[in-house]
Amino acid sequence: MARNTVTPSEKPRTEQETEAVAVSLARSGNQNNLRNIGLIIEREFKNRVTQRSFKISTAIILILIIIGSFVPTIVAYISSISNSQTKVVVVNNAGTVAGMNNIALQQYFNATLNAATPGQSASTKPPYLINTVTTDAISNLQKQVKDGSTGVLLVLNRPPGQEVQYTYYTNADPVRDSNVSNVQGVAAQLTILDRASRLGLTPEQTSKLFTQPQFSTVNVGQSQNNRSVSDIVAGYILAYAGIILIFMSVYLYGVTVANGVAEEKGSRIMEILVNAATPFQLMTGKIIGIGAAGLAQMTAFVIVGISALLIQNPIKEALIGNNSAALNLNITGNSITLLLILLVYFILGFLLYATLFAAMGALVKRQDEVQNAIQPLTWLFMIGYFVSFFGIYNPDATWVKVVSYIPFWTPTTMLMRIGVGSATWWEILLTIVIMIVSIFVCAIFAARIYRYGVLMYGQKPSMRQLFKIARMK
Amino acid sequence: MGLTVEHIEKSFGQLHVIKDLSMEVKEGSIFGFLGANGAGKTTTMRMILDIIRPDSGSITWNGKDMRDIPRHNLGYLPEERGLYPKVEVQEQLLFLARLNGLSKTAAIEQLDEWLERFEIPQYRNIKVEELSKGNQQKIQFLATILHDPLILIMDEPFSGLDPVNANILKDAFLEMHSRGKTIIFSTHQLEQVEELCEDVVIIDKGQTIIRGSVREVKRQQGRNVARLKLDNDSEALWLDALEGVQVTKRRQDYIEMQIQSNLNPNLIVEEALRHGAIISRFELTEPSLTDIFIERVGKATLQDASPAIATQAGGMK
Repeated sequence: MARNTVTPSEKPRTEQETEAVAVSLARSGNQNNLRNIGLIIEREFKNRVTQRSFKISTAIILILIIIGSFVPTIVAYISSISNSQTKVVVVNNAGTVAGMNNIALQQYFNATLNAATPGQSASTKPPYLINTVTTDAISNLQKQVKDGSTGVLLVLNRPPGQEVQYTYYTNADPVRDSNVSNVQGVAAQLTILDRASRLGLTPEQTSKLFTQPQFSTVNVGQSQNNRSVSDIVAGYILAYAGIILIFMSVYLYGVTVANGVAEEKGSRIMEILVNAATPFQLMTGKIIGIGAAGLAQMTAFVIVGISALLIQNPIKEALIGNNSAALNLNITGNSITLLLILLVYFILGFLLYATLFAAMGALVKRQDEVQNAIQPLTWLFMIGYFVSFFGIYNPDATWVKVVSYIPFWTPTTMLMRIGVGSATWWEILLTIVIMIVSIFVCAIFAARIYRYGVLMYGQKPSMRQLFKIARMK
Repeated sequence: MGLTVEHIEKSFGQLHVIKDLSMEVKEGSIFGFLGANGAGKTTTMRMILDIIRPDSGSITWNGKDMRDIPRHNLGYLPEERGLYPKVEVQEQLLFLARLNGLSKTAAIEQLDEWLERFEIPQYRNIKVEELSKGNQQKIQFLATILHDPLILIMDEPFSGLDPVNANILKDAFLEMHSRGKTIIFSTHQLEQVEELCEDVVIIDKGQTIIRGSVREVKRQQGRNVARLKLDNDSEALWLDALEGVQVTKRRQDYIEMQIQSNLNPNLIVEEALRHGAIISRFELTEPSLTDIFIERVGKATLQDASPAIATQAGGMK
């Protein structure tokens, strides 16, 4: 496989040895296979987690996760304490409205306006303070609106025998004024009540008018297996999050493996290491050690993230009283299954790519050449990433299904298909089996390249030479 | 018995790097492995270590194939020094010693002892990249011997060391020697070979050109070396006219010459007195390994490399 066009006498020694220096296999070092791999795993793991850059990046990401997960609560809390009370003066010149006098009307406004805004605890002020009066002298009150001491002035008038007319005075910026829609809503409701009472309906009959109809949704889409809507939404969210998580982590830790191998070559400690352990042990130990450090980091992220979300219900209650349904994290059985599948695909994806990253790392001379050397792998990985994002709109297309069986793209694509509910359980099992087989094939391929690469400091071999190396024994 | 290398051959592609190389290293001896740059020393060492395999020929240790010798019996100091630059001394030495089969407690024991012997216990928790080159070299040496190997294979262990550190390393060599270890090392400082080694081999272009005990090698040259110092005549140009005498160096402190073995050295003294010289030094010695090396390897290299040199010179114009 090695070709040489330069005459030997001109060629410096280091390059004479560059081509096809294979570290011998099956040496007596094999006797200590497990012990050596264990020692290397331990070193790699410890080396990784004690690195300052690792600690700092972990800390920063953890802080970001905590801040991110507390944002909804913080926003709700800030809005609840900063929400100043709007003083509403209702001037009732319409007499009895919907059978209510001024006092009843004030109670009605109080109840409906303040109930319309959720998320308030008993300890904080209600957003609206209602005061109902009957007067003709509204110009004085209009002045109060103008100078801001009254937020809203609502004047009710009733021309004889007709409907109630509402006039709304405010000096708030019309773009940001949310009060007007609230008040308008209450006014509309009040008018309906008023009409009902004028038609002579009893209060019971009136309340019947307002009962909600019975309304249920059934999704008959073939793939959804009668999942509830919240499950489907949770599936989408977890699929998106999972794809991004897998993409970033497998790539990040894969590059770490390539860098680690290149570092050992660059610092030439490889020469000592190959005397003490076989290339296979070195490669396996490095991949598992770095993978374990990565898994520990990921686990920390996920646990901290979930606990930060879960811990918020008690905090939220203490801060703002009741729970608003919109902020609740709903971890259903399906989501937990998806998390487990995410874990399995992460591990398999990492192992598959890490073996290839290790082989690429073994082919460079120095660490600064790693980025270039791993470019083919980067592209390979990106394809799966993009397919899973395009495929999310059309998960049942044949080409998406085909792509999800190709091991390099399985982790992201399958995760997307599972998330949107287009994959069956046997497909999940089958892709996992395919991935495990591919990992073994790639590991053998990578170990052979590694064997040649670790002592090679010359020209990078071409793709064709690589395949020749991989076929040699 | 020791280490026996018999007729090994190795090619990388079309490059025939090692050609029919044989050598024998007695168990417990210190063995000098010499050759010019690119002669194939590193390749041969890697084959002895079974990191790479020869295409043909055999390498055995006490009659057993090298492949069946457990790894931890071998200690290797590569020519290109290598340690984890950002890892503390203790941590990486313990890792390497344990990888070579030592238990953790045994590794710590050995580490304590050797750090003390090398007078560097204060570097225990310092990152290797922060150490001076000489101290890095000591750490590298410790990485080679900490697991108490039977056979030490060292590629230029003395390069880059100041005289003080070289002496410490030399003492460590002798210590390992007294513990019965077999030491094979290559170097370009041939005085160290003369000082330390019983046997040597000199290879050139992958072939053995000289092998045997240091004394034998010197005697085989069939020549003696004489050193002469005259107080009143530092040049002694009349020496050039003497038959059977070839002046090799005219130094400040003496003149060195090779004399043919059949020439009676008294002749030189008589000739000096006849020229009215005051002799302050006259000694007969064997040729140094450096002389032999330059003569044998230099010749071989010169013949072969001349086209390459010519091309280079042409390119420089």
